[in-house]
Amino acid sequence: MADEKLDGVNPTRNELLNLKDRAKLSTKGHSLLKEKRDALIKEFFDILDRVQGSRDDVEKKLAIAYSELNKAQVDMGDMAVKRAALSVRDSIELDISSRSIMGVSVPVVNSHATHNDLISRGYGFAGTSANLDVAAKEFEESIKIIIELGEIEKTITMLAKEVEATKRRVNALEHVIIPRVNNTIKFIEMRLEEMERESFTQNKVIKNNLEG
Amino acid sequence: MKNDIAIMADPDTVTGFMLGGIKSGFPVHNNEESKTTLKQLVDDGYSIIITTEKIGDALREDITKYSGSSALPMIIEVPDKSGSHKRESDPMNELIKRVIGVEMVK
Repeated sequence: MADEKLDGVNPTRNELLNLKDRAKLSTKGHSLLKEKRDALIKEFFDILDRVQGSRDDVEKKLAIAYSELNKAQVDMGDMAVKRAALSVRDSIELDISSRSIMGVSVPVVNSHATHNDLISRGYGFAGTSANLDVAAKEFEESIKIIIELGEIEKTITMLAKEVEATKRRVNALEHVIIPRVNNTIKFIEMRLEEMERESFTQNKVIKNNLEG
Repeated sequence: MKNDIAIMADPDTVTGFMLGGIKSGFPVHNNEESKTTLKQLVDDGYSIIITTEKIGDALREDITKYSGSSALPMIIEVPDKSGSHKRESDPMNELIKRVIGVEMVK
């Protein structure tokens, strides 16, 4: 690894100049990518704090909602609950846009319930129990935080992917490309010096022979 | 992509979520069914699909395929009525570990 060189490079002065340009470019790209990586990781940590709390909330809220649903099912019977559920009106409006974090586009979801009081839910009061109303309310609230959780998790997934890709690029530049280019530059320089010395001695010998 | 939300889960969970105001409920009974339903939902262009962790574990590959590379659809896995089961590998934790883990070595 330490003295690996680029393949197929001739030790000429022209190549040397090209390679020097390339080394400069790689170093610059490397430092830019490093900055990008650090910024992404910072964003990643910021959002990480939010995810754990959010998931716990969803789990707690849903546990309550399920137990209320259970009660309603015991009260009214399975079929009656299902019937009531089928007649509930659509209550969630979604507004999905996206924002960009360091060139990664992540979704931003705005959800709001169009109605959430008893009367506008849509099922009849005859034959439904109070537990059903509680269950419906709990589920409405759960759905809201589930959507938030989804947004956060999606953002994390997208960011993580970008962090990994950037990291890989930074490492490739740092540990493979830049050392190789530098080694090749050194090789060409040494080779050119050697050629210079060679022709110098040759000239000396020829001069000696001509004079002698 | 229409701004719509769907729930695909076992019948009881679907009932609950429909009670909460999601109109597009798709009860599924086995893995085969959920696989085809999920494909159908993605093709139909739902932007948010809620499913249970159990189904999520069974269809891990499909979910990664559908939602791994782009912003939408968003596939959210929630616990079902038996509560959150201890998973062998939480995909989210796994991801975080991978990203930070390399970071610590740095």
